[in-house]
Amino acid sequence: MIRLSLEIGQTQKPEAILFYILAPLSVLAALGMLIVRKAVHSALLLAWVMITLAIFYIALDAAFLGIVQIVVYTGAVMMLFLFILMLVGVDAPDSLTENIKGHRATAIVAALGFGGLLISLIGRATLNHVSVGLAMANEPGNVQGLASLIFTQYVFPFEVISALLITAALGAMVLAHSQKSAGARLSQRALSSVRFRGDSLANAAGLPSSGVFARHNAVDVPALLPDGTPAKNSISGVLTARGDVQDSTQYALGSLPKVDDESGDK
Amino acid sequence: MSDTPVLQYSFLAPILIVLGGAVIGVLLEAFAAAKRRAVLQLTLTLGTLFIAFLSLLRIRNLTSAKAAMGSVMIDGPTILMQGTILLIAFFAVMIIGDVDNFTAQASAVPGSDEEKSALQAGRQQTEIFPLTLFAVAGMLLFPAANDLVTLFVALEVLSLPLYLMAGLSRHRRLFSQEAALKYFLLGAYASAFFLFGAAFLYGFSYSVTLSGIHAAVIGGTANNIFLLIGLTFISLGLLFKVGAVPFHAWTPDVYQGAPTPITGFMAAATKVAAFGAMLRIYYVTFAEANWNWRPILTVIAIATMLVGSIVAITQRDIKRMLAYSSIAHAGFLFTGVIALNKAGLAATLFYLLAYGFATIGAFGVITLVRDSSGEITDLNRWAGLGRRSPKIAALFSFFLFAFAGIPLTSGFIGKFAIFTAAYESGNIGVVVVGVLSSAIAAFFYIRVIVMMYFADDNGDSLTVVIPSPLTSIAIWVSGGVTLVLGVYPTPVLNAINTLATFIR
Repeated sequence: MIRLSLEIGQTQKPEAILFYILAPLSVLAALGMLIVRKAVHSALLLAWVMITLAIFYIALDAAFLGIVQIVVYTGAVMMLFLFILMLVGVDAPDSLTENIKGHRATAIVAALGFGGLLISLIGRATLNHVSVGLAMANEPGNVQGLASLIFTQYVFPFEVISALLITAALGAMVLAHSQKSAGARLSQRALSSVRFRGDSLANAAGLPSSGVFARHNAVDVPALLPDGTPAKNSISGVLTARGDVQDSTQYALGSLPKVDDESGDK
Repeated sequence: MSDTPVLQYSFLAPILIVLGGAVIGVLLEAFAAAKRRAVLQLTLTLGTLFIAFLSLLRIRNLTSAKAAMGSVMIDGPTILMQGTILLIAFFAVMIIGDVDNFTAQASAVPGSDEEKSALQAGRQQTEIFPLTLFAVAGMLLFPAANDLVTLFVALEVLSLPLYLMAGLSRHRRLFSQEAALKYFLLGAYASAFFLFGAAFLYGFSYSVTLSGIHAAVIGGTANNIFLLIGLTFISLGLLFKVGAVPFHAWTPDVYQGAPTPITGFMAAATKVAAFGAMLRIYYVTFAEANWNWRPILTVIAIATMLVGSIVAITQRDIKRMLAYSSIAHAGFLFTGVIALNKAGLAATLFYLLAYGFATIGAFGVITLVRDSSGEITDLNRWAGLGRRSPKIAALFSFFLFAFAGIPLTSGFIGKFAIFTAAYESGNIGVVVVGVLSSAIAAFFYIRVIVMMYFADDNGDSLTVVIPSPLTSIAIWVSGGVTLVLGVYPTPVLNAINTLATFIR
C-alpha cells in the first residue's frame, strides 16, 4: 500500500501536492455537474468526483473505503446510472425558464454568502487536539479494523440499514413494476393466426417500414402509399400518441422543389 | 479478536418486532393471493403494532438502559415517545386500511388506460402496509438513538417509506407525485446537511456518541467553531423534518399532495419522532452549550409560530390549512424545547401525544368528505356540511377546537403546560408570541366551523361517505382521547412526569 500520509497530523508534501492538484479539479467537476446541460455529461462528471474522492480516501489510509468507492459507486452504481440514461434516452436539456422571478439570482447570492460564511468559519478553525489519525485504527489492518467496528460497536445501525435496502427495493417495485392483466399479451401462435387468418392479408408480410424512398428514412416519417397518402401503420403507435409524427407529404415527389441545374440529373 | 457484541434484545424488542412485521409483510406481498392481501396485510400490521406495544409495556419499568452496544438508549422519554408513536401508528393504520385512498397501480401513467383497467380490476398497492411498518420502525429508533450514526440511519429508515407513500394518492395523482418528488429531493438535501454536521461534531469531539460529544462540550477545550458548524447543520436536518420556518417550504405541498391518511400519519408520528430526537440532542448533548443554540432556536420558534398561523389564514384548501397549522404547532413545540427544563420536556411529550391524536382524527375526517371524483379539500365546498352530516362535522369541529387550544380539549392542556414551562424558564417573549399566534390560529379554525354550520348550503354534490368500521373506530377514539386528555389529564401527566428524565 502506498502511504502518502507520512506523518500523522500534518499534511506532508506528497499528500499536499496530490490534494492541491485533485481538490480544485473535483470541485470544478462538481460545479460542472450542475452547469452542464446534458444528463450524460453530468453523470460522467459525477464519476470523476467519485474517483477523486476515492483517491483522497486511499491517501488518507482508508484503503478499503477508497476501493469500495471505486468498485461500488463508480464501477457499479454510476455505470448502471449511465446505462439507464442511455436506455431511456434522456438527453433533453433541462428547461431553464425561471418559474419564480429572480429565483436564480437570489439563489446564487445566497449560495455565495453561505459558502463565504462557511469558508471564513472553517478558515479560523483549528484542531486543538493532536490528531491520532488512522494509525491506531489500522493496527490490525484496515479491513479488520473496520470489520470489528461494524460488527461490534455499530452492529445495530448496520443491521437496521437492511430495512433501508428492503424499503428501496420495495419502493422500486411499487413505482416501476406493472402487473399486466392476464391475456394482455398474445402468444406467438395467436399472433400469427391473427396475421394470416384475419380479414385481410394486407399485412401478412409484415407492416410497411417508415420513410419515403430516397428522401427521408427516419422513424417518424410515415411511408407514402401509392395514392400519396401517408401509411399510418408504418409508424410506431407511441410516436403517434406523442404527436411526434412528421408530415411525409412534404417529401412526396410531386411536391418536391425543382432540382437544381448544377446537380446535373435533369 | 473483538468481543461478541451484546444487543439486549428485550430492550430492542419493540423496534425489532416492527421490523420483523414489515419483513413478513414484504413476504406476504410475494406469496399471498392478491384478493386476500389487503386483509392479511392490515391484520398483520395492526397485530405487529399491538405486540410491539405490549413488549414496550414490559420494559417500561426497566428505565435507563443502554442497548445494542450503546447505540440505543432506553430511558423514560424513549419509552414515552415510542409508546406515543406506536399508539398513533396503530390508529393511523386503521385509516390507511381504507385502501380507496391509494392508487390502484403506482406504475401506471396518470390518466392512462392501464390505470383505468387497474382500477376496474380492483387492484391495490398493499405495499403501503409494510412501508408504514418500516417508517414506524425508523420512528421508534429515532428518539432512542444514542449516537449520530444510529440517528442518521433511523432518519433515513423513517424518511424513505414516507417519500414513497406521499406519491401514492388515488386522486390528483400528478399532484401527489410532485409532492413525493419534492419531499424526496428536499429531504435528501436535509440529510446531507445532517451528515455534514455529524462530521464536524466528530471533528469537534472525536466521538459520535451523544455522551462523548457532551463530554467535549463540558470539557470546553475543543474548538468551538467546529461545535457551532456541527450543531447548526445537525439542527438543520432535524428542523427540516418537523417543518420549522426557514425549512418549511415542503410542508404545504407535501401535506396537500400526499394521500390523506398518510398525511395524518406523517404529521402526527414524524413530529413525535423528530421532536424526540431533537429533545434528546438538545437536552442531553448540548444542554451546556445552550448559549449557542437557544437564541437561534428562540428566533426560529417565534418565526415558525407566526408564519404558520398567519399564512394559514389565507389558505382555501383544508389540507393546506392544516399543513400551515402543523407548522404553527411545531413552533409551539419549540417553546417546550427551548425551555430546557424538566417541565418543558414533560409538556412537549404531552403536547406531542395530544396533537398526534387530534391530527389523526382530523385527517381521518377529511378522508370521508368526498364527491364522485374523490376527496374534496376545497374549503368553500365544505359550506353547510354541518347541516348535512352533523355528527362528523361536530367531531371535526372538536378536533379544530383542540388545535386552537380551547378548554376541555387536549390542546388546551398541552398549550397551557408548554407555555407554563417556557414561562418558568424565563422566555417571556416566546410565551407572548405563542399566545398571540394561538389567538391568530383560533381565527382560521373557527372560520372553518362557521363555514360548516352557518354558511348557506350551496347545494354541492359533496357528501360524507359512511366510514369503514376501522376508520370510524380510529376517528372516534381520537376524539375520545382528545376529550379525555382535555378533561382529566392528570394520570397521563403524572405518568409523563415520573418518566420524563433523560439519561446520558
